[in-house]
Formats: sequence, C-alpha cells, structure tokens
Amino acid sequence: MEVASSRIRPATRTASKVCAACTSSSTSSSRPFSALNRPPPSYPGHVPLTRVERAGLAVGSGVMSLLNPYRHDLIAALGEATATPYFIYRLRDAMLSDPTGRRILRLRPRISSNTLSVEKLRQLPANTVGRAYVDWLDREGVSPDTRSQVRYIDDEECAYVMQRYRECHDFYHAVTGLPIVREGEVALKAFEFANTLIPMTGLSMLAVATLKPSERSRFWSTYFPWAVRNGVRSREVINVFWEEELERDVGELRAELGIERPPDLREIRQREREERKRQKEMQNQGR
Amino acid sequence: MAAGRALLGRARATPFVCRSCSQSFQIRARRMYSTRPNDIYDVVCVGGGPAGLSLLTALRVNPVTTGLRVALVEAQDLSKTRSFSLPPTQFSNRCSSLTPASAHFLDEIGAWSHLQRGRVQEYQEMQVWDGVTGARIEFDWPPGSASSKTIAYMTENLNLTSGLLKRLDELGGVDVFDNSRVQGIEFGEESEDADLREWPVVKLSGGQSLAARLLVGADGANSPVRAFAGIESRGWDYDRHGVVATLELEGDGWGGEYSKIAYQRFLPTGPVAMLPLPGNYATLVWSTTPVNASLLKKLEPRDFLAMVNAAFRLSPVDLAYMHTQDQGQDDELAWRAQHTPVDPETIPQAAVGVQEGSVASFPLKMRHADTYISDRVALVGDAAHTVHPIAGQGLNQGQGDVQSLVRAIEYAVSHGQDLGAQMWLEQYNSERYAANHVLIGVCDKLHKLYSVESGPLVPLRSVGLKAVNALGPLKSFFMEQASGTGIKMF
Repeated sequence: MEVASSRIRPATRTASKVCAACTSSSTSSSRPFSALNRPPPSYPGHVPLTRVERAGLAVGSGVMSLLNPYRHDLIAALGEATATPYFIYRLRDAMLSDPTGRRILRLRPRISSNTLSVEKLRQLPANTVGRAYVDWLDREGVSPDTRSQVRYIDDEECAYVMQRYRECHDFYHAVTGLPIVREGEVALKAFEFANTLIPMTGLSMLAVATLKPSERSRFWSTYFPWAVRNGVRSREVINVFWEEELERDVGELRAELGIERPPDLREIRQREREERKRQKEMQNQGR
Repeated sequence: MAAGRALLGRARATPFVCRSCSQSFQIRARRMYSTRPNDIYDVVCVGGGPAGLSLLTALRVNPVTTGLRVALVEAQDLSKTRSFSLPPTQFSNRCSSLTPASAHFLDEIGAWSHLQRGRVQEYQEMQVWDGVTGARIEFDWPPGSASSKTIAYMTENLNLTSGLLKRLDELGGVDVFDNSRVQGIEFGEESEDADLREWPVVKLSGGQSLAARLLVGADGANSPVRAFAGIESRGWDYDRHGVVATLELEGDGWGGEYSKIAYQRFLPTGPVAMLPLPGNYATLVWSTTPVNASLLKKLEPRDFLAMVNAAFRLSPVDLAYMHTQDQGQDDELAWRAQHTPVDPETIPQAAVGVQEGSVASFPLKMRHADTYISDRVALVGDAAHTVHPIAGQGLNQGQGDVQSLVRAIEYAVSHGQDLGAQMWLEQYNSERYAANHVLIGVCDKLHKLYSVESGPLVPLRSVGLKAVNALGPLKSFFMEQASGTGIKMF
C-alpha cells in the first residue's frame, strides 16, 4: 500500500542553541553551603551568602538604616537580603509576563550618567518626564550614579531586576512628585510596596515612627491611603521602559499608568513652614 | 424449529458441532423463513478497536469458548489496518502505553508475536515532575528487584490493531463485517424457530441483520450499543485538548538505546509527556487548553519544536507568554534557556524534528457508564469509560475489561448456561466497575491537583510528591498498581 512520503523537518539550529544554553547555564542553585566553601559568583560583584549571614545582614542593615536613613547603602543591602525567597522571583515573573518587561530583561538597559545624558534632559520642555527627572536630580543634589551595585542576590537575572528597581526609584519620585524628605520617601516606599511587593519597601514604612507628629498624621490620613490605592491598581512600574518615556508628558504617563497625583508635599510643607514663621513673628511682636 | 434449537442449545448438547453442519441447518432455515434475521450469533462485537479485537481473539483462543459463533462489526475498512506498514522513520501519532499486564494478556492470546516488534518500544524509567516547583518523582524498578525492568511498552495503536487482526485471521472462525455501519439495533421477533424478542438484532448498512445472544459494545465513547441498552454515561468534559505529534530527538535518550526513559511534566494548563519510540523518535502527548492547542497546530515546525522544548524547560510564566505569540518562539526559547538553569539529563533531549502531518489534537473528557451490563449487552473499553490520558491507563483498562468479560463468558459456557443472561455477566461488572472507577477518579483528581498554579496547595503537593519518591515501598506499590501486577485492591 502506498504510503505518503513524510519528511522530518530538522531544526538543528534550535537544538544546538538549546543544548549550549542548557549546559552552559550556571547550576548555582539553592544548595546549602558553608562560609568556608562558597560557590563561585554568578556575576561580577556577586557575594553568595549563607542563610545565617543573610539573616544577620537583614537585621543589622534594617536596624542601622532606621537609625540613620542617609545610609542608602544599608537600605540597598536590606533590600537584597530580604528579597529572596519569594519576592524578587515574583517581580521577575511580573516582568516576564509583560511584553515591555521582557524587552527590558532582554536589553538590560542601565541608568547612569553614561547612558543618560543629563545635559540633553535639561533642554527638554518643562512637563516631560525627563525634565522632571533632571530637575529633581538637581534639586536634591544627586546624580544617577549614586546607586550601589547589587551584590547579595544569587540569581543573575533577579540581580538585574533589583538593580533596575533601584535605578528607577528616582523616576518614581519624578512621576509622583514626592520630595526626598523623610516624609516623601516613606510615602513613596509605601507606594512601591503596594506595587512591587519588595519587602524592604514595606519594612521602610517602619520609619513612620521617626516622623514628627504632624508629619505622621499627614501620612496616615493622606499619603498612606493614596499609596495603597494607587500602588495596587496601577500598572507595574517596574515594566516601564523609562529611557523611551523621557520625552512624554508627565501627566499623560501618570494617567496611562493609573497613578493619581498626590497632594504636593513640597507645597504643603512650604506653607506649614511659612505658617510657623508667621506665628513666631507674631509672638515676637506681641512681646 | 429443530435447526434453531440445535443452534441455541449447541453449547449444552454438542460443544463442537462442525461448522458445515451448523451452517447447513441454517441455510435450510433461511430458505424457509424469510422474516428471520440473516444470522444468529453467540457474540456480536460492535467495534474493531483494540478492545473488540482482543475480545474476539481471546474468545477464539480459549478452548471453552472457541466453539462460539462470533461476529465483528466495524464501520471502517479493516484492510487498511491489516496492511499497516510504515518505514522505521515514521510513526503514527496515536500511540498507547501498554502495561506489562496488558502485554502479558496479548501474549497469552497469541497476538503479541504478530505486532511489529521493531516498532514497539519498552521503557525502563519514568521521570515525572511538577512544572511550578520542580518537585520530582522517578519511577524505575530498583536494580535486582523485578525480573524484568520494563515499566511499559509504547505501541502505535495501529500496530496493535493490525497485530490483533493478523492473529484473528490466523485463527479464523470470525465473521467480519467491516465497512459496515450500524443502522440500528432493536429487539428481534418471535418466529416458529426461535423467540428472539429479548435478543438484540443489529442492522448493518450492507443490509444484513445479526441477532446476538450477547451484544458487546466495544464501539468507543459514543457507543450506539450503550444507547440501545439505555445505559447512561456520566462525567464531564475537561475543557482540554490532547495535542499529539511524532518527534525526532537529538539522540536516543539519556539512558541509551537499551534503557529508555519516559518524561511527564505537570504544567498548570495540563501535563506534557514525551514517550520514547524506537531509535531517536518519541511521541508527544500535551494536554492543554483548546486555545493553546489550536495555536500549536498552526505553528511552523521550527516554532512548534521550540514550544515543545520550552514545555520541558521553561517556567510556566514564560510558556504562558510564548503561547500568545504567533511566531518567534524559537528566538524566545534561545534567550530564556540561557536564564533558566536546568540539569539537561533530567529532562528529555531536545526535539529537532517533527513528522509532517503528525500534529493533531483530540478533546479530553471523563465518562463512566452507570453499569457495564444489561440483558444480553456488555460494554468494554471506551464505550464503558473514558479517562484523562494523564496516567496512560485508558487502553489498559479496556484490556482488563476484556479479560474479565472473557472469564465471565467462559464460566457461563463451561457451566452450560446462557452466556447472555445478566446473571452471568454480573461477575464482569462487579469485577471491573470499582477498579475502573477508582482509577478514573485518581486520574481526575491528579489532573485537578496539578492544575493549581499558586496558593498553599502547590507546596503541599510538592511535599507529597517528594515524600512518595522517598518512600520506596509506597512508590513500588503505586508502580505495581499502575502496571497491573500489584495486589488486587478492588
């Protein structure tokens, strides 16, 4: 009986790619190891930690960064020490579920003064994302290079996700308009926790205890509800390709992401300061 | 009348009336009474699939039942099945995994030697793992325990049916009505010769009508015999399709030519299984949603192969994304494979080719008939039950049914009783119903358990799987139950 001819379609290119990738991929998995016998680093700067070391780092950096919030390197270490086991993988999967997030993971853009020309950003129109970002950088006196490198996350791709989050933190300030004062930082951290679920951002909310009473009441009444409401319902901000959004209107980007503008904290604080000054003047005059 | 009674009472009086004598009685009868059905048979089996063919072969082989007058009714052309021959580089895409118990039964009835053995692949190890957590269970007989290390035999369905047909032709004594569709089944009439008012009469598209002492429905999930008997079949559709394909792998397996391994990964959309065939070939069975199945069937071979390789390597998040792409999965896999650490020897070797025209899909459902028997009716195989292919048990259940039914018929005949009477068929129903029900239920619950993508159930099921993997006696128990060689539980 005649049998129809059938061809096996070879796709050797696929096979060799898959094979090479599989055999060359690092098997740096979660096998427990001792401090005397660390596995090799998965990426430049990687420091594999044992579980005890990781716990110690988390506790130590948490306590010290609460006492001295200017220690941004401790805050970074806290973020990395508490990101595993579940949270950073969830964030990476959130990136993988989104087409833009996948593009970011593929291209691995970094934000630094090499890749972002600050001069060009200063020339953008006032309402753009890029201009807001560079104005903010200038006002606070920081540069895009002040972010420390990720060291304590074992999976190389998750280390990039953490690095990307850290570098985009300044853009979140620009988009929401929250200033870098302690109050603004805490509010932004609350928003980030609701949106990205990184534990360090949630733990940073403990800094509420260090705020002044009036600031604290303002936080609980206004900024915390704003943060939760917007963090939960907006798009994942980790999936925004900021380098491509620099020339967009800030309000338009905010609307697209689903973030509503919080009350301008800088203005409120300015008004309070003026109010206090006026009252002091009146007291002095009355005397 | 004498002729009729001689035929009906043949089993009691003269078990071995020669064929020509009984036929000569019949011819006389036919000339005298034209309203009678063309032929009266002891057993009419509707359905020429593995279950029906096994049943008839077993009846012909068994010395007690070999004298019975049997007929086979099949809607398709059996000459195509008889002439099944494909080159060693091509395999049919519908394959089944035969347990050692089924293989032993086929050997007993003499059909095993008629299968093209070069196209049957036995495998000695099975790797099953959870796609979400990576928890794994490895099935292989411990060294030195069982005499043969084979877990199961991968066979093309056509190879099996053609082997059975060859054996049946060798034995002879079966009236085969192929290319005949069943037009209707009704009860016969009373006449001077015989009172056939309680006998089912099958009317065929070729004009013949066959009266049956026992009508066996081996005619698949939409069985007309079951409908005639008024037996309800209850269950549900899984909203899943099983995608099958014949693949060429890059090598003949990590264990080499003589130690083949079957793989199954539980994805949230359904299990994907890669089962070994002779040489570098393998058959794919991927249970997934209808939307995903239609995408897989439309993909170019290069992208289809990338999806298959991804199904065993990448995370469910990546797979879900790749299912939304119309093309370019090849590229996506190459990128993601670099960032997904996996030990290559724990997963199947990469698929490098797909046999043209072998990508197909079929809907998955679960059905179980209320009972397997009725007056002068018995159901075997898919007519009685349909199961999820998650554990590869469907065809083996049918073979188990056949063995049990043959035992029941043999008992009735050897005790001089009417083999179609429900009293003697009851033994078959009670032997098989509970066992099948449990197996169908287990497969259903496994499917539901592994459909969960997140939540507390995921780590729990991984702990359970690892526990079973670690407990040797428990694992051996499950393996024995699945292969049909274990203690009879029900």
